[in-house]
Amino acid sequence: MRYRTPPALQILRTVLIADDEPSMRLLVHATIESDDYAVVEAADGAEAWAMVQKHRPSLVLLDVQMPERTGIEVLRSIKADASLNATKVILLTSKAQESDVEAGLIAGADFYLTKPFSPLDLLTRVEEALQL
Amino acid sequence: MVQRQGEGDIRPNGRGWSLRTYMSLFMVVLLAVAAMAAFSVRYMSGQDARAAALADTNFAAAKGAAQLKSGFDQITELSIPLSQDPSIGQLFADPTKCKLGYAPLGAFTTGRVDLVRLDGSVVCSSSKAAAAGGVSPYNNQSWLASTAPTVIAPVLDPVTGGQVVVISYPIPGRGALVWFLDLTPIGPLLASEFGSGTHSLEFLITGANDQVVIARSIDSAKWVGKKLSGAPIDSSASSSTSPDLNGVSRIYGETITTAAGWRLRVGADEAAALSVADLSANRFLTIILIGVGAMTLMVFVVYRRVAEPVRRLSLVMRRSKPGQLARVAVGTGAREVTDLAQDFDKLMVTIESELADRLTSEEKAVASEHNYRSLFESHPQPMWLYDVHTLAFLRVNDAAIAQYGYSREEFLAMTITDIRRREDVPKFLELTAHPPAFDKSGPWTHLLKDGSTLEVLTTSHAVSFGEKEARFVMAEDLTESQRLELELHQSKARAEASAELGRAKDEMVSLVSHEMRTPLASIVGFTELLTTREVTPEQRKEYLSVMLQEGHRLTALINDFLDLRRIEGGHMTMSFAPADIGALIKRVVELFGKSGGTVVTTSLADDLPLVRADSDSIFRVVANLLSNARKYSPNGGAIVVRAGLVDGMVEISVQDEGLGIPHDALAHLFQKFYRIDTVDRRTIRGTGLGLAISKNIVEAHGGTIAARSAGPGQGSVFFFTLPVGREQSHKGDVLVVEDDSGFAHLLQAELATRDISSVWAVDAETAEQLMIRNGARAIVLDLLLPGLSGESFLKRMRERYGPNIPVVVITLKDLDISENLALQKLGVTGVLRKGPGISGTAADLIENALAAQLVAS
Repeated sequence: MRYRTPPALQILRTVLIADDEPSMRLLVHATIESDDYAVVEAADGAEAWAMVQKHRPSLVLLDVQMPERTGIEVLRSIKADASLNATKVILLTSKAQESDVEAGLIAGADFYLTKPFSPLDLLTRVEEALQL
Repeated sequence: MVQRQGEGDIRPNGRGWSLRTYMSLFMVVLLAVAAMAAFSVRYMSGQDARAAALADTNFAAAKGAAQLKSGFDQITELSIPLSQDPSIGQLFADPTKCKLGYAPLGAFTTGRVDLVRLDGSVVCSSSKAAAAGGVSPYNNQSWLASTAPTVIAPVLDPVTGGQVVVISYPIPGRGALVWFLDLTPIGPLLASEFGSGTHSLEFLITGANDQVVIARSIDSAKWVGKKLSGAPIDSSASSSTSPDLNGVSRIYGETITTAAGWRLRVGADEAAALSVADLSANRFLTIILIGVGAMTLMVFVVYRRVAEPVRRLSLVMRRSKPGQLARVAVGTGAREVTDLAQDFDKLMVTIESELADRLTSEEKAVASEHNYRSLFESHPQPMWLYDVHTLAFLRVNDAAIAQYGYSREEFLAMTITDIRRREDVPKFLELTAHPPAFDKSGPWTHLLKDGSTLEVLTTSHAVSFGEKEARFVMAEDLTESQRLELELHQSKARAEASAELGRAKDEMVSLVSHEMRTPLASIVGFTELLTTREVTPEQRKEYLSVMLQEGHRLTALINDFLDLRRIEGGHMTMSFAPADIGALIKRVVELFGKSGGTVVTTSLADDLPLVRADSDSIFRVVANLLSNARKYSPNGGAIVVRAGLVDGMVEISVQDEGLGIPHDALAHLFQKFYRIDTVDRRTIRGTGLGLAISKNIVEAHGGTIAARSAGPGQGSVFFFTLPVGREQSHKGDVLVVEDDSGFAHLLQAELATRDISSVWAVDAETAEQLMIRNGARAIVLDLLLPGLSGESFLKRMRERYGPNIPVVVITLKDLDISENLALQKLGVTGVLRKGPGISGTAADLIENALAAQLVAS
């Protein structure tokens, strides 16, 4: 039986944005800004994985091409950790090539968006994933 | 065929000496050693005995002298206080108070002490006989008159009648304290105390000058006090053999002089000493003799029982022939030898029967081998065997000889590398280092004897050949169909290579699309946000500024990429002209070097020649390197731009103290979109195309570009070279100073139609250099120049060369009156406003001015 944190501290869910482009982080952050969850950011793959372990986010918006560790690598780490099975992942890729998308979906991504994407579309996907 | 060893080839011995020789030698050495031992024992034992005797005598003499000295010392110790006692007068007045006694003192075991008056009468004595005398027995004795202590010896004691030594201590005005010490017992005493041992020592004490015997251990009573007619011993030799007083030959030890001036000699009986030595020497000699006898006997026995039988055995073996074996009779040998003989007997019998069997089976084997051999020899394909270690040919078949042209002997003298082309050998050795048990390989190119080559496929497998590890090889001439197959294979490889190229191209497209999608995503995304959401004015401003920034980035990326495509595709035209690279660098530094925290300095060689360059492009390269140096120095640090002449080229370098470059990244720096992906660079933006463009520009100039860095955190240096402009291209009648290359070309073309040669300078600095070097008959000057302005240049020209050079000024803007006046003052031929057809007008003006110049001169 795992020890659980008190419920009061669990009310606010977390969404992690991982992208090495500051403008991209700003855009995604501005798009999904909400009182329903907290938003945290990571600027590379290694930081993203560290943030995942620290915040145990309900949703990760993961850029595929990042320094240190690629989004696909971070995704695999998340899926390999059984304690993170509630964490959903949406991949943001600028590579429209099928191989990338395929690799992401095989690795267990819940959805993917290709840059440039529609912010409203993104917001819809986020709300779906969080079942708001 | 294996050669059988001929029966007559067995020789008695190949090398070494016979046992008989060894034994004779052994005997000779043994006898020599024995003789030497005997001689040395005889001779050395005498020497040793003498040395031992001498050591004994020296020791005894030292001991005896010490004993004598001890006696004298004790007497002195007793006498001095007594003789000087002030109360001694009472003894002389009343002899009844006087009590003297004598105890043995050192070597002096018997004697007495007297207190004597000056007249020689005895006051008192330790001896009753002397005290009872009453008369003066020592009247007129010399020692009575002496005022100093006196020792006299030998003296005949008037009281006892014995030989004594008299030691007297005077008591001034009254008499003396006198010791009378018997000499006769001293010799025997010393002999009994220190003379024990094997050498029967004689102790002899003589007075000063060896005049008289004071004591002697042998016949003491007879010799003490005897005067000597001469020196008993040669006193000059410290150790010598000489006869003693009785005529006995003695070895004398060191002569000791005692306190009284006496000499103590100790002599050992030479004959006695030597006889002891002889005895031990004889014992040794007996042992040696017995040893030699025993060894001789053993040698004889060994020879008789071993060497002789072995020799006989060997003789018999040599004579015996297969089929008619002689039985060996060794007779009386040692057991090992008789065993050997019997074994040999058995062996001979066995060989006899085996040989008979062998002869028949060998015939069969020869026949069988012949069959196999002909299989190998007459096979139509070249075949050979080679040693896998030495690579030497072991066997070759006739087909190989026929096809390769080498004779069998030549083949067998070669290794398999000899039939390969030199350049193939390393690869061949690598492949054959660990060959599989069975291997099919090729095509190989083999060398034939006539120098031509043969393409073959080889089939080989490991075999053992005798005791050697070998490999059997079949060479198969490459047929036409195999050749075709090979060619097909090669063209397949080529197709794969071109597919690889295609993949690289795809990769490039994907990379570019990725690079463009990111800024595009921001722009599109924020636009959508702004059009669909209510945002605060602050947010609006933030979003718009990001959109602007990303839009610029996209523009820069597209521009860079198009530039690159243009340069790479050779579509970008370069306008090469002489250029003052120093001035160009200064301009770049002035424009981009001042902002930010970094300090940019220049270090330019004084004698920089003009380079041949497209100034705009080179400006871009220097600006790119400088911008990179600044971008990758987030913590500041000095940036130095240098230019100098290196190996006939002008080298320009930009050095920074920034993040540096990992070693493995240096090779990729100039590739398109290559960005070093480390944490410290994450926030540094760039298109990843700047260096690729710079590389293309520099290479279009015929120069090279490279980077150096000691590693991350160590800063970096980017440097490129440019060719020096040829002097011939610097000459012309008219100097065209114009930064717009299009207009400059147009003007030069107009001048050329008028048969006027011209040289183009892209800026005033270059123009100045060209004037200094070659001069010019006229100048066309643009006022708006990148560095030094046209006006400043004109002023300098007038100062330096006077007012006679015609100058036509071209300007883009309308000049006001004061500017016009200033130009008139500087004596310009004409001022033209840039516009269509103006190049022709300018050329006309120049033509007229030059014609006027000719008329004037």
